[in-house]
Amino acid sequence: MPELFIHTEDLCFTYDAEGPDAQPALKGITLDIYKGEYVAVLGHNGSGKSTFAKLLNLLLEPTSGRLTVAGMDLTAPSIGEKELLELRRNVGMVFQNPDNQLVATIVEEDVAFGPENLGIPHPELRTRVDEALEALDMTAYAQHEPHRLSGGQKQRVAIAGILAMMPKCIVFDEATAMLDPSGRREVLRTLRMLNREFGITILNITHYMNEAAEADRVIVINDGTLLADGTPDEVFAQRQRLCEVGLEVPQCTELLCRLREAGIDIPGERISSAESCADLIVAALGRHAEKGGKCHG
Amino acid sequence: MDKIRLENVSYVYNRGLPFEQVALDNVSLSIRAGCVTGIIGHTGSGKSTMMQLLNGLAEPTSGRVFLDGYDINAKAEDLYEEWSALPEYAHLSKGARKKAIRREVARRRAELCFRVGLVMQYPEYQLFEETVEKDIAFGPRNMKLSEEEIGLRVREAARFAGLDEELLQKSPFDLSGGQKRRVALAGVIAMRPEVLVLDEPAAGLDPAGRTRILDGILRYQRTTGSTVLIVSHSMEDMARYCDDVVVMGDARVLMQGERREIFSHTQELTDAGLDIPQITHLVRLLRERGVPLPENIYTVEDAVLAVQALFAE
Repeated sequence: MPELFIHTEDLCFTYDAEGPDAQPALKGITLDIYKGEYVAVLGHNGSGKSTFAKLLNLLLEPTSGRLTVAGMDLTAPSIGEKELLELRRNVGMVFQNPDNQLVATIVEEDVAFGPENLGIPHPELRTRVDEALEALDMTAYAQHEPHRLSGGQKQRVAIAGILAMMPKCIVFDEATAMLDPSGRREVLRTLRMLNREFGITILNITHYMNEAAEADRVIVINDGTLLADGTPDEVFAQRQRLCEVGLEVPQCTELLCRLREAGIDIPGERISSAESCADLIVAALGRHAEKGGKCHG
Repeated sequence: MDKIRLENVSYVYNRGLPFEQVALDNVSLSIRAGCVTGIIGHTGSGKSTMMQLLNGLAEPTSGRVFLDGYDINAKAEDLYEEWSALPEYAHLSKGARKKAIRREVARRRAELCFRVGLVMQYPEYQLFEETVEKDIAFGPRNMKLSEEEIGLRVREAARFAGLDEELLQKSPFDLSGGQKRRVALAGVIAMRPEVLVLDEPAAGLDPAGRTRILDGILRYQRTTGSTVLIVSHSMEDMARYCDDVVVMGDARVLMQGERREIFSHTQELTDAGLDIPQITHLVRLLRERGVPLPENIYTVEDAVLAVQALFAE
């Protein structure tokens, strides 16, 4: 039985809840995320997905409902400084704009900022920083000034800073939005590696459908509620629903769906990656040829 | 015809300092007038630096940047001899001629930021006015246009950017991220630039937001016949919206040409740290398995037609 890591029950959050301009952002989210899962979170701008992420380490406090992370009830009144520190060590966050996340004047000092604040003693601190830089391929820049790096490099420094805290879970809030394709591929490889090899629970909030297709599970949040939850194949099969809320599906899924709509028989459920789509199309073409290509007339 | 031409342009940051960095290394490049040109390249390849050279925000360390054949960084002294023969200067005395030429060069220079509109990354952080209308009007007002003309341009720009007229009286800070981005775009479009340069205009937007802003840009381009340059990391968007593509890597131009030509160089693109659209990747996989599809498919629409044709045989 997998271990529960995040548990929410009717979780709600309202910005400016007491004020005249109260804006509900989350309107009752109930879901379970297990330890070691790799989850992509989709939703249009303003859907509430970033709000959801910020609740997970209490950057925002739930307005109502229940939220348990790593066995800690975050809605309990007993949450104090000590618990908060523990929580934030467990749940790291990487945001979209690296310029807002870098604090030091030297790359390696920036990476050391988190673990140092956790009180990690010196020889270990050094090892952690070196390993984190290595994992993000930034070792060569250890002595550089962060503000002189390119956007992609800065983001990798920010991720290294989280890695060095050895969290149980990392939430990426559109962390690849500013990266180039190779930077994105590299960060995605890193997510997979952190997930597979270290068992770190990954939540990747993204607008890139191809990225979501790489996760084990996809959650779609719309207008503060849960719209879909399942494997990438299951979720992307609901193409119409996703389009209605301003999302899309990967291009290969789009192709299969349109061909099916045009009356072409391409059966199969594995529709979210280019490789599996190629399999389905090849198989369907094979059957078509067997029938002598007469099925249309 | 070339709208923009770069001739042996180099740009070096922190020249002579330990952190000296060559951002552009002897780049030569032509941008066709009236086309949408996509500029792709890994982070740090020099794309953003090049954009800043196009409207004089930065001056090349060496080399020349031409807009409609005019060197935008030309000094009056360098032009003196050539222009002295022109009828508008030939009749003047030497002193008056020098002064007139200096004035003309300064005028062209000042005009440059209106002719070449730059939309930076995350331009919504640059909004500052009380209302959307005032924010969009900022550029045209600096052009010293009449109030009537300003009002006209604000509404026109808002239409191009797909902003409802009712949004004009709102505070830009009350809008959604996608709307704010389009207000920033409208602010530049309102100057009716001949060249519109955009750095990652769709970054961070959801799919619907991406489509809305890119469609807005295309609407402006198609209606006005202006020249558009888009820097982007999304190969899918590039394949869909661009006529030409320039590929940059390590401060140089690696390839430039029509979209179809560029996206057929799969290996070179991957080597440059870039990608091909997913649909092109799928078509490649199918071709490798003997499915007779044409190689040059870069959009879902083309792929649907091509695969449909196979099933109709």
